[in-house]
Amino acid sequence: MTDVTLTVNGEVKTASVPPETTLLKLLREDLNYTGAKLGCDVGDCGACTVLVDGLAVNACLMLAGQAEGKEILTIEGLSTQEKYHPIQKAFEDVAALQCGFCGPGMIMATKALIDQDQDLTRQEIKDALSGNLCRCTGYIKIIEGVIDAYQEIMGKKLPETKPRIA
Amino acid sequence: MKPFDFIQPKTTGSAVSALAEHSPDVRILNGGTDYLVELKHAAKSPGVVVDISRLQDLKGIGITNEGLRIGAGVTHTEIMVDPLIKEHAPAMIDAAHTVGAVQTRNLGTLGGNLVTCVPSMDSGPTLLALDAKVTILGSKGSRQSDLKEFFVAPRKTSLEPDELLLEIIVPKINLGKPASFIKFGLRKGQALALVNTASALWIEENKFKDVRIALGAVAPVVIRAFKAEALLEGEPVSEELIQEAAEIAVGEAKPINDFRASKDYRNDLIEVGVRRTLQAALANSNIKS
Repeated sequence: MTDVTLTVNGEVKTASVPPETTLLKLLREDLNYTGAKLGCDVGDCGACTVLVDGLAVNACLMLAGQAEGKEILTIEGLSTQEKYHPIQKAFEDVAALQCGFCGPGMIMATKALIDQDQDLTRQEIKDALSGNLCRCTGYIKIIEGVIDAYQEIMGKKLPETKPRIA
Repeated sequence: MKPFDFIQPKTTGSAVSALAEHSPDVRILNGGTDYLVELKHAAKSPGVVVDISRLQDLKGIGITNEGLRIGAGVTHTEIMVDPLIKEHAPAMIDAAHTVGAVQTRNLGTLGGNLVTCVPSMDSGPTLLALDAKVTILGSKGSRQSDLKEFFVAPRKTSLEPDELLLEIIVPKINLGKPASFIKFGLRKGQALALVNTASALWIEENKFKDVRIALGAVAPVVIRAFKAEALLEGEPVSEELIQEAAEIAVGEAKPINDFRASKDYRNDLIEVGVRRTLQAALANSNIKS
């Protein structure tokens, strides 16, 4: 067994798991954070995206033992029942998601992007979300949600923004 | 994944000792973006997996007596934002940017990309065009090799069972050498290369000098297009000659037909890729001079 101590959403957690346990399995099945989703399980879909020390990673491609001592942020750490995070609010306002399965991954990838505190273009947003697949929406409203969240959080406009599709 | 024993050595020395001790029933894990996928699909796990993701000797990017030194455990994201790489080998940034998606680049390492040794690797062509060397650490000491010799066959490098890749070195004489990388995929994001190409060259008195052309995804390993390089060497700069070199390079590759692209299409891409990377490297050299 591998003993792991890590911080999840600000709380120190410990677990003892078989070495082949992924960070995703540890989060979902041992620590009960089920926000990150198991999609493809091979790092293509991004549904399991969480932040590890501030970087977006696929939790299915990291062993629990490799996360020892790391700070993990999952979708559960963004909001309370009463108050959404601005990214979640923006996604809700534009109806960015349909089935919602990709949502936690999309939102965490967006969080990592906006946290870099840099000027962004629409192309850079698309690039940053290229590791997150959505099979419902066609992405346009998701990108609109990210742009709205970016503008809300950063307090400035995106340099070039194509007209919205109603 | 099937069960395995998990070792997290604190030093590179204890890592190679663990490899020697458990060889051949042992594998190395770093970023995991390739190997964990393989393990999930494998009918059997190795007895021991050695996690080298915390080894400090494998981290860091710096200038040494030998040149630009990049630790094998440096991630693609770290390459993309590094000021030394931007200054001395910016084509590496273009190559790193085409690897997977953000999540892959945050975990995946340069060393892992090379050790995996798939023909379509995105890090290989640029480093080959810059005559990169690799330092390999084994239980009996370290050795250096040209990257060219490191690639043996698909998914096979010159690493012995008790060895690990320590660092990648772009030789001092090639720092700032005008270079360019291009990748053709079916999409912009998360695509394997159909063909990728890198070229590097110096221009001296309006003549091509030390031309290097490297091709990925068109042969069992990443290769150099030696005949195309030789055609340009020492000749006056001309668009016609670049086009001729691009056509010759096609004949040096052996691309396959598969579900991603036909052999003919890949051959067309080689010509376009070689032409464009030579043109871009030439343009970069004009900016510098």
